[in-house]
Amino acid sequence: MSLKKFSELFGDLDSINSTNNKIQVLKNYFLSNDPIDNSWAIYLLTGKSNKRFISGRYLKNLFSRIYEYPQWLIDTCYLKVGDSAEVITLLLKNKTNSRKKKLSNISLNELLSETIPALSKLNEEAKNLEIKNLWETLPEDNHLIFNKILTGTFRVGVSIGLITKSISRLINIEEEIISHRLMGDFKPSIDSYEFLINKNINFQELNSKPFPFLLANTIEDKIFKNSINDFQFEWKYDGIRMQLIKRTGNVSLWTRGQELVNKAFPELVEKMSHIKDDFVLDGELLVWNFKEQIAFDFSLLQKRINRKSPTRSIQIKYPIIFIAYDLLEINGRDIREIKLENRRIELEKYFSKWQIKSENNITDIFKICDLIFPKDWPDALTYKEKSRENNTEGLIIKKKTSIYSSGRKKGIWWKYKVDPMQLDAVLIYAKGGSGRRAGLYTDYSFALWKDKELIKFASAYSGLTNIEIKELDKWIRKNTIEKFGPVRSLKPEMVFEISFEKIQISKRHKSGIAVRFPRITKWRKDKKINDADSLENAYELMKKIS
Amino acid sequence: MRTKQEYLIRYKDGNLYCELADIWIDPSKPVKKALITHAHFDHFTFGCEEYISTKETAILLKERVGDNIKIKTYEYGEEFKINGINISFHPSGHILGSSQIRFIFAEEKWLISGDFKLQKDQTCKQYEIVKTDYLISECTFGLPIFKWDESNKIANDISKWITNSPEKTSLLFCYSLGKAQRLLNEISQTNFKGTIYSHGSINKMNNSYRELGIDIKDTIKIENKKNIDELKGSLILLPPSLNKGSYLKNFKNIQTAFASGWMSIRALRKRSGYDKGFAISDHADWDEILEVVKKSEAKNVFFHHGESEALSKYLVEKESINVLLFGK
Repeated sequence: MSLKKFSELFGDLDSINSTNNKIQVLKNYFLSNDPIDNSWAIYLLTGKSNKRFISGRYLKNLFSRIYEYPQWLIDTCYLKVGDSAEVITLLLKNKTNSRKKKLSNISLNELLSETIPALSKLNEEAKNLEIKNLWETLPEDNHLIFNKILTGTFRVGVSIGLITKSISRLINIEEEIISHRLMGDFKPSIDSYEFLINKNINFQELNSKPFPFLLANTIEDKIFKNSINDFQFEWKYDGIRMQLIKRTGNVSLWTRGQELVNKAFPELVEKMSHIKDDFVLDGELLVWNFKEQIAFDFSLLQKRINRKSPTRSIQIKYPIIFIAYDLLEINGRDIREIKLENRRIELEKYFSKWQIKSENNITDIFKICDLIFPKDWPDALTYKEKSRENNTEGLIIKKKTSIYSSGRKKGIWWKYKVDPMQLDAVLIYAKGGSGRRAGLYTDYSFALWKDKELIKFASAYSGLTNIEIKELDKWIRKNTIEKFGPVRSLKPEMVFEISFEKIQISKRHKSGIAVRFPRITKWRKDKKINDADSLENAYELMKKIS
Repeated sequence: MRTKQEYLIRYKDGNLYCELADIWIDPSKPVKKALITHAHFDHFTFGCEEYISTKETAILLKERVGDNIKIKTYEYGEEFKINGINISFHPSGHILGSSQIRFIFAEEKWLISGDFKLQKDQTCKQYEIVKTDYLISECTFGLPIFKWDESNKIANDISKWITNSPEKTSLLFCYSLGKAQRLLNEISQTNFKGTIYSHGSINKMNNSYRELGIDIKDTIKIENKKNIDELKGSLILLPPSLNKGSYLKNFKNIQTAFASGWMSIRALRKRSGYDKGFAISDHADWDEILEVVKKSEAKNVFFHHGESEALSKYLVEKESINVLLFGK
């Protein structure tokens, strides 16, 4: 089966917005292609391979040398396109249209299992020649895929969940089972594909399934009319929501996105497998500061998620913890139908049993969440305001009599999030974006007043709608004072409300402060630059928090 | 070397202006005398005392804005004189009636390319190579990443896009004048044999094209909520201004696409808000601009309307052509 089919699949997936249509297209692809090509397709689409054979810069240099294109011209094109592989693909159209060489009809399998691995064994000169040869013999439709695989930038709007759904519908087997099969070390081969689409389910697969997650709603005013005693209060952690399952000796970690993540957190799997009981726990996975007993930033957790198999030193550097807040099943008995307050009693009972009975200490990786006991609603508000101190996002409020149903069910769980910190700042620089935002000015820098000078204090690129981005882009082009490469300095005129999570002293910045996760929350067209905040306001904010 | 004021044609208030003839080219505000290269609205403004264009452009303009304008017409190649300057229109291949404008004064030739393309288009006259000393060229797509596919290939892609989803109504957005007619002409030569509907604004232009002797496939005018149920599997041509929720909710089970040169770039395609993009343009791509610059034999070139920086630098460095800058 030719590579062309895969290029078409990529084109389709890239242009279709509806999930159902994507699934249909994937199903059709799997039905009409060889198992080995399907296997590679799944491997690429699920992002299991992002190995970079050569860099985008190398690709651009190579093109520049072969076809005698000035480097600056390629760079100018790049600013418009935002992706090296695509720039070269578009430029190649100009070069290979009139070619006479016989085109190759290579398959996805051949490309990935033979051609590209062979490339990395060649010396530089031979490698360059071979890439040129491939450019000139591959059909034009395949250039983008080829360049993207070469530069390790193959990505398309398809999640593992979507692949899972497609295969699940293809063979009429539940998604969780497919998830489980996709979890392992997926090595592209005929066998791995046949295993994936096997209609016989084995016992262990059945046994690892999580329950549908119960989700919290945004806080509603009516809740404050009820007695505070009707509710259980917990901190709202900013980690990965997870069900930790142990059945017949096997541990599985399921994220809310139906992903099995055992591989990423082997130390947790290992520890939990020593517990004698079987159970299903609902909780949060965090990177934990054991000294201060608070969570580290989500950014550290990201360093763990992104690693498929973390080394021992990574495990030590970013120590994780699973904080359980609910017990859903114990030794085969589904207890989701009993009241939350009673499930909590069970949870506490088993936790203390496991603490005592375990051969090795489990509390260095597992604990149950602490409860908070506000006296009344104003007191709850005070707790909420304090949540920044322990790196939580606010409170979770749960009705004590509720059962564990599924989805975002109303009137059971609420999240009561702390308000973000905000300052009004003036836009002073803009920089071109990349990827989907190529060709637009989408990276912005903002400043606060210090006496009569504007001092840069934060950069942000999220928070505006597409329409606002376009409008602002137009304004930026008309109000540029100076250009430095991709950056433009701008006439100070536009004021934006910037929200952020944390503010602290920083010697590295001219402003003397650093903020975390700055983002644009409002375009304050109603404000003039003199209405923007000063650095002094920022320092006051900092004092108020600490 | 002459100063900018001394050029026969220069930029004044953001428009091309020939002082000697006191005449403006595609002005964006009312003036006494305006030469119009073609009938797109970004090249036309109300309120000029007199317009001068080709016959076809005049007919299309009147169809769009009414008979209430004073417009003088000339055939392609026919020379006329204003204040001792010889002026003539020449086909630019952009849309029906579109033209380049040549000025000759004291043996010095100036050529304004207008919007142009070299690619085949059966709905208008092929671009004519005109020799000149000074060339003022558009460069909307002045980067080498722009390289158009043959229009019949794009038409086949569109045909496949429609026939692959027979249960859907396919909405193809394109400019009402020029692009729509070119697409209709191309699509009628593909395997797609279903019904084609078009919006009133497009239908009107189709009729004008037919009256001017261009072969355009019959389309049915789409009327709000009237023929909605029979649309499955058919194609509807609409102007881009209608790609908004309030209009789209008139239809059931649709897929949308935009036909424009910008759709060759993935980031723009994704940002456009359409399901699909077809890269087809009535403007010259990089190679075509270079070809015109070379074949016109111009010693001096000006660019406007587009990506001029890289193009200018390339011509100066690689082709040793003198690229000049307008003082705006």
